[in-house]
Amino acid sequence: MTSICLYFQIHQPIRLKNYTFFQIGHDHQYDDVQLNYQILNKVADRCYLPVNALLLEMIKKHKGKFKVAFSISGVALEQFVQYRPEVITSIRRLVDTGCVEILSETYYHSLASVYSPEEFTKQVKKHRDTIKYLFDIEPTTFRNTELVYSDAVATQVANMGYYDTILAEGAPQLIENDDASFVFKAGETDLNLLLRHYKLSDDIAFRFPDQSWEHYPLTPEKFAKWVHALDGKADTINLFMDYETFGEHKGAETGILEFLRNMPEAVLANEHFSFLTPAETVKAYKVKKQLDVPSEITWADAERDLSGWNHNHMQKDALKKLYGLEVLIKESKSREFADIFGRLQTSDHLYYMSTKYWNDGVRQTFSPYKSPYDAYIIFMNVLSDFEQLVKSNL
Amino acid sequence: MLGWEFPPILTGGLGTACYGLSKALSNYVDLTLIIPRAEKSLTLDGVKILGLNYLGLEEELAYEEPSVSYNTFTDVTYVDANLNPYPMGIMFTQISKPVLRAEDVRNLYNTNESYGSNIMDKVATYAEVVTKIALNKEFDVIHAHDWITYPAAVKLKEATGKPLVLHIHSLETDRVGTHAKHQVNAVYEIEKKGMEAADRLIPVSHFTKSCAMNHYYIPEHKFHPVYNAIDAEPTFRLEKQGNEKIVLFLGRITFQKGPEFMAETAFKLLQRYQNVRFFVAGIGDQLQKLKDTTYAMGIYDKFIFAGFLNKPKVKEILAQADVYFMPSVSEPFGLSALEAAQFDIPSVLSIQSGVAEVMNHALKADYWDTDRFANYIYALLNYEGIRNDMIENTEQEIDAMSWDQSAQDVHKVYQTCV
Repeated sequence: MTSICLYFQIHQPIRLKNYTFFQIGHDHQYDDVQLNYQILNKVADRCYLPVNALLLEMIKKHKGKFKVAFSISGVALEQFVQYRPEVITSIRRLVDTGCVEILSETYYHSLASVYSPEEFTKQVKKHRDTIKYLFDIEPTTFRNTELVYSDAVATQVANMGYYDTILAEGAPQLIENDDASFVFKAGETDLNLLLRHYKLSDDIAFRFPDQSWEHYPLTPEKFAKWVHALDGKADTINLFMDYETFGEHKGAETGILEFLRNMPEAVLANEHFSFLTPAETVKAYKVKKQLDVPSEITWADAERDLSGWNHNHMQKDALKKLYGLEVLIKESKSREFADIFGRLQTSDHLYYMSTKYWNDGVRQTFSPYKSPYDAYIIFMNVLSDFEQLVKSNL
Repeated sequence: MLGWEFPPILTGGLGTACYGLSKALSNYVDLTLIIPRAEKSLTLDGVKILGLNYLGLEEELAYEEPSVSYNTFTDVTYVDANLNPYPMGIMFTQISKPVLRAEDVRNLYNTNESYGSNIMDKVATYAEVVTKIALNKEFDVIHAHDWITYPAAVKLKEATGKPLVLHIHSLETDRVGTHAKHQVNAVYEIEKKGMEAADRLIPVSHFTKSCAMNHYYIPEHKFHPVYNAIDAEPTFRLEKQGNEKIVLFLGRITFQKGPEFMAETAFKLLQRYQNVRFFVAGIGDQLQKLKDTTYAMGIYDKFIFAGFLNKPKVKEILAQADVYFMPSVSEPFGLSALEAAQFDIPSVLSIQSGVAEVMNHALKADYWDTDRFANYIYALLNYEGIRNDMIENTEQEIDAMSWDQSAQDVHKVYQTCV
């Protein structure tokens, strides 16, 4: 038997407005409310609502044989509740089928696991509380922001005591792609480790609409053939990707929704194959071996490291100033400040400052700012105001 | 090649660009450069430099005086030199008559003043004399730099039928504003006629290309923009006295350079941040107005008006400055921003600057967007991360630039028309 483990990431950052130095000291509202509202609505209409409906239809059609997992950042959930509560309702409907697993992550989609273990624990707890409140679920699988993973992260997560499974990138520096298709032991911890099959995942998430790609167009049958080729060589093929791939990053006109609709059937045509959620996957197979990962890996860029977030001087400077505020926030004992502090930790703010691929089209599309320099200046101006605000309230 | 400004006498980027380009271009073509005034101490390998201040005194400058006597230049109407030094606009039609006696020509150009009140005489004389000299020479392409040489270039094309390439370092519409085209403006007319007669046009940026298209109505197919460049040069840093930050404005204080927008930016910045001084190096017809404005705004004491600085003095201030600020209203290129970048100074530039097209790692705003300028300067003075990234990334860009690349691009343009 070989199973497919599908996990979709849902995230929308709370973007900062064009905050200038003129505002420091008297404007403490940092969000670009209008922009966040617009983007959330756009993505809800293009992706979340139609694709949720599609998944529900597929789950019903396959009568329990098609399963998926979601991880939804707290800041995304917050915006759904605020602007499009029907997205929450549609996720609930999916959860009610019993074929959908909800994963755990940091509430703010932050890099706290790397920069502040204490903050990390707090944010994971906050996310658990939110998931419990909205969906009445207590997740047992953890996925970290951008799949940031290392032995140290595994240890932190294991010590929280809620989890038996953690997800990570099947990074090429770590393991050959097809060898990643098993359940591993996460370092010295008791956690099970599932690794993303980046080739097959990226065939869908990145290469699908690329007309210069040798395999274009990717049909469900072609994809199923690649999956079936792993029969007998793999326990679990882990396909992890952004949910926004469907309908947003790749518009419906590319045919990606039709692909999604028909892919399960093509895969299930071979009876050796099934779909399982992460929690079911780790129960279905024996642990292959222990995997040690001394330094951080992520699912981003060719390097599969943190360099998209902490590579240049601006990012290092911003991270230093940001986490330098932690002591002040604790001292203030203010929940409101703790929340603002959390929102500022959302990894996207740092990603917008990246100069790694200055002319990379993908990166430019996602940033709401004119340049990485603008992103940095806005962030630093906001931090300057926030620092003053907290200090003046001590 | 027909040029005007040339080292060691420089008033702007024109001479520097002409020098850098001809030096590099000599590796690709046989180059003869005719300029009004040559300095014998300055020679370039592979470039024959002919100065009209040696007219008739050298074999290469053999010259037959016309038999008919012409008016000498004492008959010409004079205007106060300080009113209209190039590259300010010359906003009126001036009666000009060429001088044709070799001695008069030599005297006309033997001055440190490249432009001056009799500029139109100089231009007319240059046109007459250059045509006469050049007709005795072998060449394939006529390449002329800016309006002062365009009449000569057009005349030469008419006489020989050789392809005409005009280099556009700046336009009258940059210098006096776009209203130049609505007035009787001799320079505008010269530029327009020149560009119409030319086979190829080489603007120093896409910005200048669009200015020429929009204000002179020249069809797009003639344009082949070639960026200016900078060759590597050793730089240094100097310790400042005191910890006050320095924002540097370097250039002529004219309408084109946006001094009023600098004052407005400074005013806005100073409302929130006082540990800064604006260092203004340069002179021009807007200098007094700028001083008056800053005085009225109550920020005069935050400015240093240093006047015109020679090269070593410029380097000294570059070695201390924290931000280079160029809010030009219309800047065809802006070589000085590259010089500042060599000194590891991050730049804040107007989008209306040609150099902004080659500096991806400068901070840019519309020349009138003083809020944005102030925000950028504030960030550069207060946040360390951005400075380091901008400096490192700009360094890579500057290292990749060379006059050799520009010369190759120009050479390609030649090849399209011979």
